[in-house]
Amino acid sequence: MKLMLFAPELFLLLGSLVLFLLSTGKVGGKTARAVTLTLALGSVLVCFACLRQEGTLFFEAYRIDFFSQLIKLVIALGFAVVLLFSTELKGVDDEIRPEYYLFLTLSTLGLLMLVSSVELLTMLIALELSSYSLYLLVPMRDDRTGVRMQMESAIKYILFGVVATGVMLFGMSYLFGLTGTTYLVDLLPRLHQMMGSPAALIAIAMVLGGFFFKLAVFPFHSWVPDVYQGASNETTAFIASVPKVAAVAMLIRLTALATPEGQAIVTMLIILSVCSMFYGNLVALVQTDMKRMLGFSGIAHAGYVLLGLVTMQEVGYAASLYYIAGYLVMNLAAFLVICKVSEHGENLAVDDLSGLHKRAPLLALTLAVSMFAMAGIPPFVGFMGKFMLLTGAYKAGHLPLVILAAINTAISIYYYLSVVRVTYSASPEDRPAVLVGGVSKMVSVALVLVIIAMGLLPDQLLELATEAVRAIL
Amino acid sequence: MVSLFSVEGLSGLLFFCFIGLTLAGAVIATSARSLIRSVAGLALCFLGVAGLYYYLNSPFVALMQILIYVGAVCVTIIFAVMLAGSSELKQLTQRNGLVGPLAILASGILVFALAGLALKTEWLAAPCLVNRGTVEDLGQSLLTTYSMSFELISVVLLVAVIGSLVLARQGRDK
Repeated sequence: MKLMLFAPELFLLLGSLVLFLLSTGKVGGKTARAVTLTLALGSVLVCFACLRQEGTLFFEAYRIDFFSQLIKLVIALGFAVVLLFSTELKGVDDEIRPEYYLFLTLSTLGLLMLVSSVELLTMLIALELSSYSLYLLVPMRDDRTGVRMQMESAIKYILFGVVATGVMLFGMSYLFGLTGTTYLVDLLPRLHQMMGSPAALIAIAMVLGGFFFKLAVFPFHSWVPDVYQGASNETTAFIASVPKVAAVAMLIRLTALATPEGQAIVTMLIILSVCSMFYGNLVALVQTDMKRMLGFSGIAHAGYVLLGLVTMQEVGYAASLYYIAGYLVMNLAAFLVICKVSEHGENLAVDDLSGLHKRAPLLALTLAVSMFAMAGIPPFVGFMGKFMLLTGAYKAGHLPLVILAAINTAISIYYYLSVVRVTYSASPEDRPAVLVGGVSKMVSVALVLVIIAMGLLPDQLLELATEAVRAIL
Repeated sequence: MVSLFSVEGLSGLLFFCFIGLTLAGAVIATSARSLIRSVAGLALCFLGVAGLYYYLNSPFVALMQILIYVGAVCVTIIFAVMLAGSSELKQLTQRNGLVGPLAILASGILVFALAGLALKTEWLAAPCLVNRGTVEDLGQSLLTTYSMSFELISVVLLVAVIGSLVLARQGRDK
């Protein structure tokens, strides 16, 4: 039945209609949040129910396969987790909260549509839907500091985003000029025959640029620190995690347009990966603001993810998917702690976490697990993910890249563990205890368990990821 | 060699005029000191682009380009500039003397590379006439091949409208 193919998107679309109606009346944030949360949990169920659907819609522009459905499930889960722990939405005025939730929902909708689009224009518009909604979430933070930091961040976000979109569109026009089609199914064989032509390689590289922006890969990373700092904590939690999953999925779809004979693309990916890793990790070393630090660490993680794409093989793609799913969980765990510790929605410095193990033992544990996982220490998911990416790249014959990545892992341990040090060994002084609600406690326990489980049992997940990748190659 | 005064020659000349218009408009838009002049440059640029659309066999899109971009977008920007009431913008930071030459060098390399690419590549011979670019053809492809994009873009527009309302409302209170 065709309806089931489109069910997850339709569900969110109808839900956003409800939210839109709510936003026209005098409804506070509480009701809007309850509706959105129901919507998010429902969409997880719907995505799960549609996991094995297959087919095409809308004149072949929209393809439903195991790859897209799996990513949709992960995105829906991320969306639900962000909503579960952002109980109070401290940084946003109560008046505009219904709109805030509306944009959050529409952004998720855009991401869901993005991973199923197999036609360049559809892809572009789905991407823009999710980006526009995110651009709007940033300036909706209330202006407590009086310096209008969130406006500056929003403008930077939009301008960089527009440039990235422009680069992508330019690349798309080249692809169309070379092949006369905008459908990936037709593009794939024609481009595979053109791997010697510089125009084809440049076109693919430019189209990739749009998604490098979403994933915050060097040189499309400049928005990250300012946006993370300027947006409210809950917004940043979303921006930093969920869109990146969709970006990696699309990068995999598009990298598959090239073959390893297109040596220039491989070289480009290697250079970008190395630059992202070094830039992200080295700059993160000196950060004192927690969100900025996570932003730079996100750039570094984007570099790690590219290690999987460089191989241009099924195994590498699957490892990238596994890693970004793991990153989603680790990052959400870290942001859960930030959102809870930040009393009135202000930004947190690393020092504000002092003595967290006395003020909120569970949060301290969550943060520690998340930091250990990001640093790549076994038995957590970060270790398994990096291990697979590195072995994949090694088998594909990129030894220097593997060594550089390993050096970077070592660098990153310093700043991740210094956060753990502050939480466990610094004295809390007169910082207040942190109150954590029941739901948030359950979410943080669940996140910790998932981080450990994904690290201990990677085989099944990797098999799923491989099956998914096989569906699109 | 086509004579300049044949039909092809004249239309070619006109085509180059449109390209020149686009480029000149873009240069004015980015380099003018006052915002109003920049907007005027932008309008000029849009006009040139509309001409290019006409040459791409899409008279309707060309008309819409003039109507929407020149007619509406530029006028809206002018409204915004006038309401904001900013006087001549001063250059806030003293630029490094190297910035100008380096920018010219970088963009020169980019232009050279892209031009080389465009000339060296074997582009697909202009695909057979897809349609005649009339309103009917446009409507048909919007509601068949591109139905998904067509529907989705309405959601994007909705986001833009609500978003601008929310931000503007928030601003007025303060």
